[in-house]
Amino acid sequence: MLHVTGAFFFVSGSVAAGVLNVLAVRAERPSETALLLRLIKTTVIVIGAGSVSALIFGIWLWHELGYSAGAFWIWASIVLWLIANALGGIGGKHQARARKLAEQLAAAGDASSDELRALLRDRKGNAMSWLAGVATIALLVLMIWKPGS
Amino acid sequence: VIAYSRPFWPLFLHVLGAMVLVGAVLAAVITSWVGWSRPDVPILRRATFWALVSGIPAFIVMRVFAQVIYSDEQDAFGGQDPTWIGVGYGVTEPGLLVLLAAIGCAYWWKRSGKPRAGRIAAVLSGVYLLLLAIAWLAMSGKWG
Repeated sequence: MLHVTGAFFFVSGSVAAGVLNVLAVRAERPSETALLLRLIKTTVIVIGAGSVSALIFGIWLWHELGYSAGAFWIWASIVLWLIANALGGIGGKHQARARKLAEQLAAAGDASSDELRALLRDRKGNAMSWLAGVATIALLVLMIWKPGS
Repeated sequence: VIAYSRPFWPLFLHVLGAMVLVGAVLAAVITSWVGWSRPDVPILRRATFWALVSGIPAFIVMRVFAQVIYSDEQDAFGGQDPTWIGVGYGVTEPGLLVLLAAIGCAYWWKRSGKPRAGRIAAVLSGVYLLLLAIAWLAMSGKWG
């Protein structure tokens, strides 16, 4: 139950961050973009608590339920957990840059700029967050499918 | 035994739908509670409404695949559903009314800007998130 609760925090927090990010990209004024990107910080706490607890209780279950030490799906899940967190961290830094620029523009008249629009729609920066989401879903697939167990 | 013998897709889509629904409601809870003290900020009104609306497709996926799993497995319960199934049904069906009421209030808030509408949306979203948490705890812990 605690492992699943951690997974809910991890995945649902990521979904909430994604919803707020999409709304921030579509916001008209820099002050609105900055506000929504600041609110993503709340979801980062939920994601962090969920990812750490899902890993800790997952490792505990690994031993408790007697799965093999070399179980492929468990090691693959740990690798995906690392990838999801690393990509999420890179995507978060991109969002932090966009938030700082949006805050500067909001303080200087609240008019958007090409630089902010380009940063919000930057394919490489956004791809990191979306790929983190793909890795998280792949992790969920492995947790439910348990191939080879 | 039941969990291990389940087909992959219905269980995966049920769990994924539930997690996306919780995420959408969590986003709405955050924006509406911030909007409690700043009801004049239009982006919070729009964000609350669209976050709640994005939960509807997730609710449908979660509920449809819950029914698919239940239809396949109800014989295993010998005609008497365990507590965790009852909690799941007890949350999803009245919970849909709470979600729809929250969406209605968020729409009212978005259109009118009235703080009272935003506060009702915030309370309803918070209550719904709590109900969803009870459901996931009951189902993952197999209460009863």
